[in-house]
Amino acid sequence: MKFVISSSELLSHLLAISRVISTKNTLPILDNFLFKLEGKDLEITASDLETTLTTGLSVENASESGSIALPARILTETLKEFAEQPLTFDINTETMAVVIISENGQFNIVGQKGIDYPKLPELKEEKKTALLMSPEVLLQGIAKTLFATADDELRPVMNGIFMEMFTDKINFVASDAHKLVRYTRTDAKAEAEASFILPKKPASLLKSILPKEENQVSIEFDDKNAFFTLSDFKLVCRLVEGNYPSYNSVIPKDNPHKLNIDRVELYNSLKRVSVFSNQASNLVKLQLTGNQLTVSAQDIDFSISANERLNCQYDGEDMEIGFKSVFLIEILANLSSQEVVVELSDPSRAGILLPVERDNDDEDVLMLLMPMMIGN
Amino acid sequence: MRDNKRQIIHFDLDSFFVSAERLQNSKLVAKPVLIGGTSDRGVVSSCSYEARRFGVHSAMPMKMARRLCPDAIIIRGDMELYSKYSNMVTDIIAEKAPLYEKASIDEHYIDISGMDHFFNSLKWTRELRSSIIKNTGLPVSFGLSVNKTVSKIATGEAKPNGELEVPPGLEKYFLSPLSISKIPMLGHKSYRLLRSLGLTNIHSLSMLPVEIMERLMGKNGIAIWKKANGIDNSPVIHYHERKSISTEKTFDKDSTDIKRLNEILVSMIEKVSFRLRKQQKLTSCITVKIRYSNFDTHSIQKRIPYTSFDHVLIETAKELFKKLYSRRMLIRLIGVRLSHLVQGVQQLDLFEDRPEMAKLYMSMDHIRKRYGKDAVKRAVGVRDMQSPSPHNGSKEKHDPGECFENRVLKGSIYH
Repeated sequence: MKFVISSSELLSHLLAISRVISTKNTLPILDNFLFKLEGKDLEITASDLETTLTTGLSVENASESGSIALPARILTETLKEFAEQPLTFDINTETMAVVIISENGQFNIVGQKGIDYPKLPELKEEKKTALLMSPEVLLQGIAKTLFATADDELRPVMNGIFMEMFTDKINFVASDAHKLVRYTRTDAKAEAEASFILPKKPASLLKSILPKEENQVSIEFDDKNAFFTLSDFKLVCRLVEGNYPSYNSVIPKDNPHKLNIDRVELYNSLKRVSVFSNQASNLVKLQLTGNQLTVSAQDIDFSISANERLNCQYDGEDMEIGFKSVFLIEILANLSSQEVVVELSDPSRAGILLPVERDNDDEDVLMLLMPMMIGN
Repeated sequence: MRDNKRQIIHFDLDSFFVSAERLQNSKLVAKPVLIGGTSDRGVVSSCSYEARRFGVHSAMPMKMARRLCPDAIIIRGDMELYSKYSNMVTDIIAEKAPLYEKASIDEHYIDISGMDHFFNSLKWTRELRSSIIKNTGLPVSFGLSVNKTVSKIATGEAKPNGELEVPPGLEKYFLSPLSISKIPMLGHKSYRLLRSLGLTNIHSLSMLPVEIMERLMGKNGIAIWKKANGIDNSPVIHYHERKSISTEKTFDKDSTDIKRLNEILVSMIEKVSFRLRKQQKLTSCITVKIRYSNFDTHSIQKRIPYTSFDHVLIETAKELFKKLYSRRMLIRLIGVRLSHLVQGVQQLDLFEDRPEMAKLYMSMDHIRKRYGKDAVKRAVGVRDMQSPSPHNGSKEKHDPGECFENRVLKGSIYH
């Protein structure tokens, strides 16, 4: 097996997929990239068993097809130090000895048999669903919701993005039981109702490779795995098994009190005031009276406190509600509209944050935040 | 050098619980009084000096105390009342002292280092003491010296109702003749060990090379040796972060009644979690402890997500208890402890915490704050309160500074 490849092109492909490789692998072979040569097409794969990302590129002077697993760390670290130049990979498929010949020298490494590399799962035909989605929809769906996913070993279903497909829309939902985001796109649809829970890691990988994508993304999945096929990449991941909690029932329907406020102003104010909140609880209180919002925080242990008054449009009863400042700040940072509406009902019920103007006519964003129980 | 300049006062209220009871009921004055669990299995938590003359001391089983002093008046104790008086004393000290530490319900340390530039330290302390006595009516003693240990020992010597100053440089002179049992935090076992070596007074202990103490008792040995030499650099810390909240209960009669034990567990959790919420804290570790009738003590703990909700803690406690209670043996004591505390209020959970429930907790806590902590509680725990006989004699022990069983239901909201 032999081929010639541009060092920088190889590096950029390797870096794109190397994020899959986990630092704590159960199988030693997973510390390798799998190189598979067929004619002039080289396919490189990285995997952590749960998620597998494959990229393809074409090489020069290829001879002999075959596959080999090459140590990932050595490869990326040496390639980073090369100036752009052609590299010749000369692989002895018998001994697994690899010689990389550069302009000025040669590097010898030993690979492992490609056949030992874990195989990709296959989709069950009878349970398979397939659809095409525009990369922009998928990217937005992931980008808007990823921050709200949980990190909870006890509730694994919450550690991913719930993609709920209907014949007229697609919902992306994420929640860690304190905050919830529902991002709906009506310009994307499936042929039949279906859903899956995409784990965090493949979601964030997709988030990093999608911006460059120009063609429709093909998504195929069954009850266990999902395949995302892009022009240059193919991502296969194990899905989170289990039922996503019925999130619709916990979104309060009737929120009589509405607060209209400049998003950036509120965000900046929270950033300042939250410095004074207790570091463990991060509690900030929002007090609404007439058309004035008072944001306040205090840390009794250090005798520090802060409050700021903001003008707003408020339509409802006077009330005081407490939120975890980090959550509220995160939500405001993930909304893009200039002005937001905060819908409230009472201090022990969730507050809903909605953008006033939308980026796109086909989208609908709803962010929800559970309050903290502040004593009376 | 710095150490020599320090001036630390230790204030200790004399037989505090008894003094507080006497303020409520003057008939108790000049009579032997015992405070503690009233049943045979209870222990004395405080006793008057009149009772001490009969050989009674605190932490003695009530049965023995009663035998030593049959005429003593036994009182069950009212923690709320004592807290109230204790806070009155703290308020007086807080008003005048630059830096104080509330070490327990009846003890305070005050750091007045540097104040001798402006006042006579002893005179200032005397004035503070008389101000406490005048305003609260509680007898109080103090020791004034260069560090916490010496001051505390000095207070012990000054009692009852006295004062003692150990001037800088004279600590060793003061400590030397005293019995080693006067060293604070020297437990019964260590005392026995040291006595068996022929060490009777602090002088002999202080003369021992520190290495021998270390070999004898490890790190603790070094600490004791330092104390015996009048060395204590620990600062007066204004605020002590509470590390845990706990409660436990010894039964009148050892029991295997699982249902009853679970009920007690529920009411204990209710109590500790209310205390947690009152202090605006959350816990992430719960421990359940049982003691079998043969005094074998076992405990088991579990880490949980931060919470202060009864229902979460009750579930976990029951689960732990089930796991822990493996031997078919009578149980003598059951306890729960919440630790790994952080300051904060509950972040509500979208899927588990219904808004109605959050409101229920808020309303219940509101009622408890207004009408006392027993004003509203889960029905399973109520039996405990209303039938006076089999259980009201049981003893409960809390962290230092809290204490005892709450008394009979004061009045329910349904009145």
